[in-house]
Amino acid sequence: MARGNARSRSRKGSSSRGARGASKTAPVKKARGIKGIDNPLSESVLVSVSDKLGIPVSQISHVVETIGEVAQEASDTDEIVKEYKADKSALIQILLEIQRQSRWLPQDVLMSVCEKLGIPLSRAYRIATFYKAFSLIPQGRHHLSVCMGTACHVRGAPRLLDRVIDAIDIKPGETSPDEKFTLETVNCLGCCALGPVIVLDGDYHSNPSPKELEKLVTACD
Amino acid sequence: MARLRSATDLGKKRQSILSRRDPSKPCVTICSGTGCHALRSDQVAEAFSREISSNGLRAKVDIRRTGCHGFCERGPIVVIFPEETCYLGIKPEDVPEIVSTTLVKKQLVERLLYKDAEGKKVALEGEIPFYKHQRRMVFGSNRLIDPKSIDDYIALGGYSALAKALFEMSPEEVLQTVKQANLRGRGGGGFPAGVKWETTRNAPGDIKYVIVNADEGDPGAFMDRSLLEGNPHSVIEGLIIGAYAIGSREGYVYVRQEYPLAVSNLTVALKQAHGYGLLGKNILGSGFDFDVIIHRGAGAFVSGESSALMTAIEGIVGEPRPKYIRTAVSGIREKPSNLNNVETWANIPLIIDKGAGWFTSIGTEGSKGTKIFSLVGKVNNTGLVEVPMGMTLREIIYDIGGGIRQGKKFKAVQTGGPSGGCLPESLLDLPVDFDALTEAGSMMGSGGMIVMDEDNCMVDVARYFTEFLADESCGKCIPCRAGTEQMVTILNRICDGEGESGDIELLEEISEVVQDASLCALGQTAPNPVLSTIKYFRDEYVAHIEQKRCPAKVCKALISYYIDPEKCTACGICLRNCPVEAISGGKNLVHVIDQDKCTKCNTCFEVCPTRFDAVVKISGEPVPAAVPSGTEMVRKKGKQE
Ligand SMILES: Cc1cc2nc3c(=O)[nH]c(=O)nc-3n(C[C@H](O)[C@H](O)[C@H](O)COP(=O)(O)O)c2cc1C
Ligand code: FES
Ligand code: FES
Repeated sequence: MARGNARSRSRKGSSSRGARGASKTAPVKKARGIKGIDNPLSESVLVSVSDKLGIPVSQISHVVETIGEVAQEASDTDEIVKEYKADKSALIQILLEIQRQSRWLPQDVLMSVCEKLGIPLSRAYRIATFYKAFSLIPQGRHHLSVCMGTACHVRGAPRLLDRVIDAIDIKPGETSPDEKFTLETVNCLGCCALGPVIVLDGDYHSNPSPKELEKLVTACD
Repeated sequence: MARLRSATDLGKKRQSILSRRDPSKPCVTICSGTGCHALRSDQVAEAFSREISSNGLRAKVDIRRTGCHGFCERGPIVVIFPEETCYLGIKPEDVPEIVSTTLVKKQLVERLLYKDAEGKKVALEGEIPFYKHQRRMVFGSNRLIDPKSIDDYIALGGYSALAKALFEMSPEEVLQTVKQANLRGRGGGGFPAGVKWETTRNAPGDIKYVIVNADEGDPGAFMDRSLLEGNPHSVIEGLIIGAYAIGSREGYVYVRQEYPLAVSNLTVALKQAHGYGLLGKNILGSGFDFDVIIHRGAGAFVSGESSALMTAIEGIVGEPRPKYIRTAVSGIREKPSNLNNVETWANIPLIIDKGAGWFTSIGTEGSKGTKIFSLVGKVNNTGLVEVPMGMTLREIIYDIGGGIRQGKKFKAVQTGGPSGGCLPESLLDLPVDFDALTEAGSMMGSGGMIVMDEDNCMVDVARYFTEFLADESCGKCIPCRAGTEQMVTILNRICDGEGESGDIELLEEISEVVQDASLCALGQTAPNPVLSTIKYFRDEYVAHIEQKRCPAKVCKALISYYIDPEKCTACGICLRNCPVEAISGGKNLVHVIDQDKCTKCNTCFEVCPTRFDAVVKISGEPVPAAVPSGTEMVRKKGKQE
């Protein structure tokens, strides 16, 4: 769904809000929910605002984009919490939904969830650090899981994992500095017959050789 | 969807579904379970849809995407009804031929059939040895049902057990039937379901819960997932019947987040059941109300434990609590809560439908019915198998599993998941049931069955499971948290070639403490992998510790790779594939591994063509010295010599 995509993109950008200048001159993305900037701003509006305030166009588009993202994020969180009727006992379900949409749990979002549910922030962090499904850092664009289930283990999963670590140069649980890959180990994926198996962005690969791995990795942008 | 208001309505519904279906009409079923999906079965399904249309067969042939058939090893699986012709390992390219030959000309595509060991072809799914020796009562419907269609389930008689329970039996009678059937929990402990139901039923309070445990934390099993994905209504029907017997109006399905297909198929199924009035208020007009909520588990092995699971449902971190009072009496929000495993629930409709007498006629004295195992590892036919309790390990591994891959030698079979044990060859004739497995130092657990051959190191396997458990220990009690951690340290030491004499005894001593003093079953059973491997494979521990030798040549610190100059043909394959450039050599020069550079990644061993077999693994002995330079020319038979 288009909305889902827009959401995940927006929150992913927010991870490095301010630090990483997004597109410098591209038309500013739609910032839903803010009066006056509901539609992509045209080049001419940007130029005239930049003239009046005496700041470069790129900075203005960045600010507008950021405001849009924050607003979007807040309204997304709102929606999810509402969906679960702001029920404290649905905390895990709410966090799972946020994790699914954004692929991580930003601190400001956790704070806002806890505020809405009337629970201490520590409770959200306790859950976020206890369960494997949650991540407190942004995830890479490409997701690589290596199955470490029993069946895959006895068929050589540890050696495959070593090979994958060699190929993308990060350890399980890490995301590469350029946010390209996130590597994760998982348990049985239900296709032990293919073991040892890795999943790259939803596609399964049975015991790829170092050469095949290299091909897969270089095909990712 | 029209609500069904009585048992008669349900019967009529079934008749009307059946009347619209012509059993002689060809139907192509394509397995879309997780295993086949990984092998691109969706493309196969699309190809069928295209090809059937372009042959003008749209109105004459049905297509159905089903759940897992069990024989995932040979996926994607296509079965064509009414003949039940079974094609294995289907690729989209095979589809035009299947359509033109089997659907149009009614002939077999021989090359896509199952071939047995003697090369004899088998056309019918049920005749394939993998299936022939099974008894698939719970899992068998998967192949006939589109999990997203409640009508498919009803057509097979689905929900008639519910109607029977609601209209022909009192809650007490349902309870008595389950007790008489002596159905034992399929999730691990094997506790009699009827007894647990009765406890919850008799516990004080009006609000009671029934729960499906679909957490399936066992890292090598996938039967709960395949059942829930492939036949969700069977689990829901069982749950409603249980709720009726226990007097509960609200149920939960605790399913792990990592099973998105199970969550989505279950969601669809619940919605359809609601639409038909099989859930919600006044089910089938009986006056009984019941509803189900899905709770997605966020991934923690310990959360599959009953008290931990229930706190997770409350939205709190899922840690176990001491069980002076059982969860059956005080569970979710301190209300009586009855938890059963997916497979346990799926047995209920069968028992109600066919009676306790029928159920107890299958299985052994203490374990009735069937059990689904995920038969995986070094066996030829991997997949999900359902067999009557009491079948021997040998029958499962050899008759159904087709024996060990690549003609290797069987070493052990691990049953019971991470806290189970490894059983050696001498126990292959053990009948598999709850009590026999426990007696042998393993357990039934959730039904993982991992076959290992001579290339598997038992110390490494023990380390794998203990590491898993140490990782998953919630840390609430010290024996489990610190004990498993210490065991991992010792096992690592042994695998790294730094084991000391006395380590085995130390492991045994720690095991005893962890078993006796841990809070929940995770800790209480955590030493099983270590104890069972010490019991049956003590010599492997001794070899690691005393001779610094890994007999299976698995433990990296204890092995070396070496190229046999007599066998090397200087083909250059290993040299090109070595990721760390540790191999030297050239045209007509015997290749040599630089032991200092070698990272023991096993690549050369894997790529060396079997006809040469020049790369050898050695353990516990020094690497032979390299051939002196000048004499490293390859001796090509007849040429150089
Ligand atoms: C650490 C631990 C993990 C468990 N994980 C599961 C699981 O994933 N699925 C399951 O059905 N039972 C699991 N169990 C067993 C449950 O506690 C409980 O006994 C079972 O779900 C009851 O259902 P049954 O009587 O139908 O087997 C686990 C137990 C422990 C101690
Ligand atoms: S253990 Fe890896 S897919 Fe089952
Ligand atoms: S997924 Fe197709 S047979 Fe198991």
